[in-house]
Parts: sequence; structure tokens; C-alpha cells
Amino acid sequence: MYIYDKFDHAITSERVAEFSQQVTRRLAGELSEDQFRPLRLMNGLYLQLHAYMLRVAIPYGTLSTKQLRKLADIAKKYDRDYGHFTTRQNLQYNWIKLEQVPEILAELGSVEMHANQTSGNCIRNVTADQFAGVAGDEVEDPRIISEVIRQWSTFHPEFSFLPRKFKFAVTGAAKDRAAIQFHDIGIHIVKNDAGEIGYAVYVGGGMGRTPVVAPLIKPFVARHELLSYLEACLRVYNMHGRRDNIYKARIKILVRDLGPVEYARQVEEMWPLTRASGVDVPAAEVARIQAFFAPPVYETIKEPVAAFEESKKRDKAFANWVKNNVHPHKVPGYGAVTISLKPIGGIPGDASSAQMHQIADLSDKYSLGEVRVTHVQNLVLPNVKQADLFAVWQRLGEIGFAESNIGLITDIIACPGLDYCSLANARSIAIAQRLSEHFADVDRQHDIGSLQIKISGCINACGHHHAGHIGILGVDRAGQELYQLTLGGAGDETASIGTLIGPGFTSDDVVGAIDKVVETYRGLRQNAGETFIEAYRRVGPAPFKEALYGRR
Amino acid sequence: MAVVDRAGPIADSWTRLADDQAPAAGATVIVSFARLKNEHNSLFSAAGKVGVEIAGDVKLEELEPFLPRLGLIVVRMNNMRDGRLFSIGRMLRENYKYAADMRAAGDLIPDQMLYLLRCGFTSFEVKDGFPIDSLRRSVAAYTHWYQRIANSATPVTELRHGAAHGGEP
Amino acid sequence: MHMSNAKVINKVLTANRLRNGETVYYTPAGEWVLYVSQARVATTQEEADELAKIGAAAYAANLVIDVAVIDVTPGAEKKPSHIRELIRATGPTVRADLNKPITPPKK
Repeated sequence: MYIYDKFDHAITSERVAEFSQQVTRRLAGELSEDQFRPLRLMNGLYLQLHAYMLRVAIPYGTLSTKQLRKLADIAKKYDRDYGHFTTRQNLQYNWIKLEQVPEILAELGSVEMHANQTSGNCIRNVTADQFAGVAGDEVEDPRIISEVIRQWSTFHPEFSFLPRKFKFAVTGAAKDRAAIQFHDIGIHIVKNDAGEIGYAVYVGGGMGRTPVVAPLIKPFVARHELLSYLEACLRVYNMHGRRDNIYKARIKILVRDLGPVEYARQVEEMWPLTRASGVDVPAAEVARIQAFFAPPVYETIKEPVAAFEESKKRDKAFANWVKNNVHPHKVPGYGAVTISLKPIGGIPGDASSAQMHQIADLSDKYSLGEVRVTHVQNLVLPNVKQADLFAVWQRLGEIGFAESNIGLITDIIACPGLDYCSLANARSIAIAQRLSEHFADVDRQHDIGSLQIKISGCINACGHHHAGHIGILGVDRAGQELYQLTLGGAGDETASIGTLIGPGFTSDDVVGAIDKVVETYRGLRQNAGETFIEAYRRVGPAPFKEALYGRR
Repeated sequence: MAVVDRAGPIADSWTRLADDQAPAAGATVIVSFARLKNEHNSLFSAAGKVGVEIAGDVKLEELEPFLPRLGLIVVRMNNMRDGRLFSIGRMLRENYKYAADMRAAGDLIPDQMLYLLRCGFTSFEVKDGFPIDSLRRSVAAYTHWYQRIANSATPVTELRHGAAHGGEP
Repeated sequence: MHMSNAKVINKVLTANRLRNGETVYYTPAGEWVLYVSQARVATTQEEADELAKIGAAAYAANLVIDVAVIDVTPGAEKKPSHIRELIRATGPTVRADLNKPITPPKK
């Protein structure tokens, strides 16, 4: 993990002091709400329906157990004893008092954490593959360049008042687990023909009102030139992005309006200017950061591990959990465990203080003290010995997080929706809970196979509904919650945007409608191995439309 | 209206000239960019010092020929959230090597001024009653930062590897 | 004048307290409280406009933010009419343990 030096500590504590005096000035009336809002947003603080919400950054989704315990303690001391892990690999507290925020930020700073730029029209928390460093299909650990970007984007003087928010995602693997093409900039770490590591840069993806799969703007940027290239990308956007209409202000609209070729040309034209400014960090600095992500010391273990194989044979529930929740590790004898924060009927992504402490204890005992957050709102123990998996699974059962549903129909993404969010039009969590209960049967879930349901409570699409195999969008129709279905979205390396299938369903009817979609798929799949998304791409929307609305 | 720099209020010797108003001989005047383009010869010969006011949609390559002779550039943004100001400042300093006074004008708050200073601005046009204490505190909020920018100090990415600390702000 | 044709309205003034974010309602006594049932009700457009003015003044005085005049049901309970405001008044529907009542609990 990256460890702060005196400079990082100084910058973090100076930030706390700065925000502390900004809060004081706001409470004293020196700053109006209009003036204060962008400042508080850049410190992760929103006003929601019931209280302020504080969004804490978990850079590229990596946490130490010390940090996780601090998050738990803050939840207990300043909030209502729980936190919500988000699709941006962050953590949100829902019941925060403005006057206590400086104190909370100071507590976060004590464990090298912050809430910098988790909101506002600036560069947000960089997200990355949750299996960084342990995935077998990786060119390079994405956290190295993510940390370089985190530092470069922190309090960037030029890019803190952009037309709109700006999100980066990085993957170093062939399999895209970070949905990079749905980000303002997606970075794919690649090797060129000469064997050098560099970056393929996708620009102008996003969800929201206008979902766009980002086009490839530059197939290869050399490592030592990435930041100047990114500055050129950002500056073209900052100068020419639209500021007249909030719904057209994201970079995806600029790239779409200019066309990817013209946008790329303007970036090329700007690049020499940013290069000349010397913004690229020295190689020694990248090497310094890289050293923090050196692999831990692993034991040499021969597979198969007898006790592990034995447990799988003996216990079908454990075998199911291993099949769905344990990802292959690049080191023999290890596995990466995804802890499902999707218990049947639970609130996706929520964990209590006690649960956070218990997971921290588990990681210290079994996973070299590291925890990851996934953009699907689950947690990961990245380094568990196969021989320990059974014990980990049993302990997770005691905590309430042993559901073996990763990638299955009950592993639902849901935004906070109208239960918390001031932008929402409809509830999301309640729908996720009812769907989870409806599809609770483990055998049925396994029979349905890989199927991602993603729910957003408004068009801003924080629940990634556009990228769901089945997407659910909550809307307000004359004061009633109504749910529209989209089919065929995907957030991986085959990224696609779901198609709206027809008129929406009431809250009472939406679960039944999803059931019809699922049964239609089961009826038409060519074999048990054809997944929902494969089948949908083969047959298109027609059979699903017919099942939902009858023949027209 | 007042003019401040990083330390507080400063005397403002500049007079804003309407487009139909002739400059007094030797005067220190700010003109519109349109007027500068049309009348630069007479302006530079009549006035003592010439400054120009530009907005976010400026084409810097059109401004470039006049840069060596300008004594002030006022960049005006009517909305504090319009961040084009920051890019314009950096480009003028870093790429066009503009060296004289550069002033940000508009609906600014003290908390933005450190960033403006780092992007190369040297003075600010603010409303009367602007909180000077907050300005002084805000521009001194940070000792270090991560980016190599215009006239910023050496960034930590270089200090970590033995570069000397220096420069302002 | 056809007063009998005037639209029947029931509106209350709501906001969030600046310093702690709590959802609050404006009472006949001029206080901001947690429970919607204690709110002052406007039954004419003039009274609703008056509430809006009070809200704007409280915003300008940096007491509250996110000020709104919202519809409630007639009668003592004053239940917000729209689901969004009902959830604001009572808490997340998915966490019964964190809900608050419409009327203050009896001491």
C-alpha cells in the first residue's frame, strides 16, 4: 500500500485546517451557501434529505485494516453506526453534522485518508480494478499510476472548477473490472510491440442522462508522458466544454460534438504546451510510488491444497461460495475473496461498524491486512490462502456476509435512491431488497447464472443502470414511483448501453416484470452455459418485449 | 470595487477607457480587446501604459502579438465557477511567456485566489468589503503541492528527490 | 371575487438546519423543529407566500438551507403529500430503526 510521507501528511492536514476555517466562515455568514457549496462539495460534503452526507475517498479501492477500523469508528462516533460502500469505491456516511466535519476529516487524516474531491466539478477519486496486484491477467498493477494521478489531481489549480465532474478509472488487466469505458477518462495499461508499458486512453464515456461508451482517443501514451497528455485532455475540455447547460457539460458531450478525431487532434495540438510546462513527474517519483505496491511475501504452496479440496467436496454451500466469490490468484495456493455486501434482503453496500471491525480482523488474520472495495459495492480480501478459505467463509457466515452470489442476480448495485438522496425520484434500495428476496434460492440463482441487475433512482445513473444486463431506472410519474427497464447493458471490456424495453412498471409490478425477463431468458438460452447477456445479444429485445407487454 | 494582491489592497493606477473615449496623453488605460485589435498603433503611442480586458472565449493567438507591450491583462469571469480563467492564466504565463501584471476579475471568493496565484495571476479585482483576512489566510493555506505549475514552488514530486524548494507562491 | 372557488391548499415550510443538516419545519411560534405535525400550516396562497418569505429570510440569515414550501394532508397529522417529502419527514423506508415519527414522541 502507498504510505504517506511528510509532504502528503502536511498537505492533508493543511486541507483539514483550510476546510475548518471555511466551515467557521460559513457558520458566521461570511460565506453564502452559493459560495460555500463548491468548497464543501470538494470536501465530499453534500446535503441530502435527512442530513449532510460525507463521501470519503478510498483511492483506487484499497484499504488497510487500520483505515477500515477508523471508518468503522467514525461511523459509530459521528454517524449512526454504519457506512455505505459506493460504486466509486468510496464510503458514504448518511447522518453527518456540518460542524463536526473538520473533526472527522482530521480523524481520517490520522490514517492517511481524506474526502478530497469526492464531489464537485473537479477530478474525482480514481477507481481501479479491485484485483489489482493479484490478478493473473495483469500487465501492471493499476494502483501505481492511479496513485500518480491521485497526487497530480489533488488540489490541481487549473482543474478544480471544470464545467462538470471528472472521473478516472484504470485497469491493468485484459478483463475490465473497472468499467473504464464508462468514465470521463478510462486508462488501460498496455504493452507496445517493443514491450514497453504505456497507456491506452479512452475519453468521453459516462452514464447519466446521455450514456456513452468512451472512444479510444490515444492507443499508446508512454509512461513518462501520461500526465502532460492528461493535462492536454483536461485543458481542451476546460476551455471548450459547455457551461451553459449542466446536462451537456460533461466531457462526453464535447467529444461527441467535436467528434473523437477532432477532439484527439485538439489534444495533440495542446500536448506540446503542457509537456513544455514540465508537469510530467520524474521517473524516480514513479519508481518511488511503484515500490509501495511491490507484491507482499507469499508462501510457496503447492496446488492442489488437500484440505481445501476436501472441504469443497464435503460442503456444497462452501463449494458454491468458492465458485462464485473466490477469484483465482496469480500465486498458487491463494485466492482473492469477494465478500458479498449483498445479503438476501439487505441494503447493497451497507456495513455496520461492527461488521467493518470484523472484516478488518479477518483480513489481519487471513489476508495480509488489506481490504479492497469493488465498484459493485462489495469488499475483497485479496490474499487468502486456500487452506484458510473454509475458516474465512465460516467467519463471514457469522458476520452475515457469506452469501455466495457474486456476479449472480442478487449481487445488485443500487444507488441510495429516494431513501436518502435529494436528487432521486424513486427508491432503489427497496427494489433491490425485494428482488434479492424474490431470487433468494441459491440453486435458482446458480441456474440463472451471470446476471447483473443495476438500479438507479434517477437519471444521474449512480446505480449504473445503463451498464446493467438488466437496468432499472426509477422515475417520478405524477408523484408515483415508476420503474423503467433497460436490457443488454454491460460494463466490462464488451461495454454496451442497455436499451429501454418499453413503458415502466409500478413498484408493485417491477419484481414480476424482472421475473418474466429472467424466465424468458431461461426459456430461450441455447444451453446452460449461454449467459443472459450472450443470449440477449443473440436474440435482441423482441422476445423480452413480448413477454412483458404481449404481442403488439 | 477594489484591487488586491496576495498581501491585501493595492493602489490601482489603471483607468478603464470606454471604446469611444480617447486616452489622455501618457495615461494608464485598460481597453477592450476589440479596441486593442483595431487601434493598437494609436493606443500604444498615445497612452503611457496599455492594458486589455479579455473574457473566457478569448483566442490567445490573437492576443499574442500585443503581449510584449501590454502592462496588464484583466481576465474577467462573471461566475466564480467558470474555471477557464485558470487555463488562460497558465497558458499566458507558461506558453506565451507573458510577464506583466495579470488580474482576475469577477465574482471571486478568497478561497480561489491561491489557485489563481498558482496559475500565474498577480492581482484581483474584488467587490468593496472583500474579506482581506480570509484572503491572507487562504493564500497561505498550503506549504506544498503536487503539481509543477507556472510560478509555483517546486512540487513535492521533485522535492522528494532532492530538488531545492523555492519560488512563490 | 369567488372565494369559494379558491383552491384548497395545505402547505408547510421546511428546510435543513445549516449547522447540522437536520430536516426541520417552521412552527407558528417561529421556531424550526424536527416534527412536521408541529408546523405552521398555510391554507391560502397569501399565507404560503408569507411562509416562502420567512424561509428566504432564514436562508439569508444562514440558519437553514434547502428551503421549500411543501404540500401536506389536511388535519392534525400534516403528512407530507409527496413521497419524497414523506421520506424526508420520517426517514429512510429501509431502516425502520432510524425513522422518526411525524408527531413528537410523548414524554
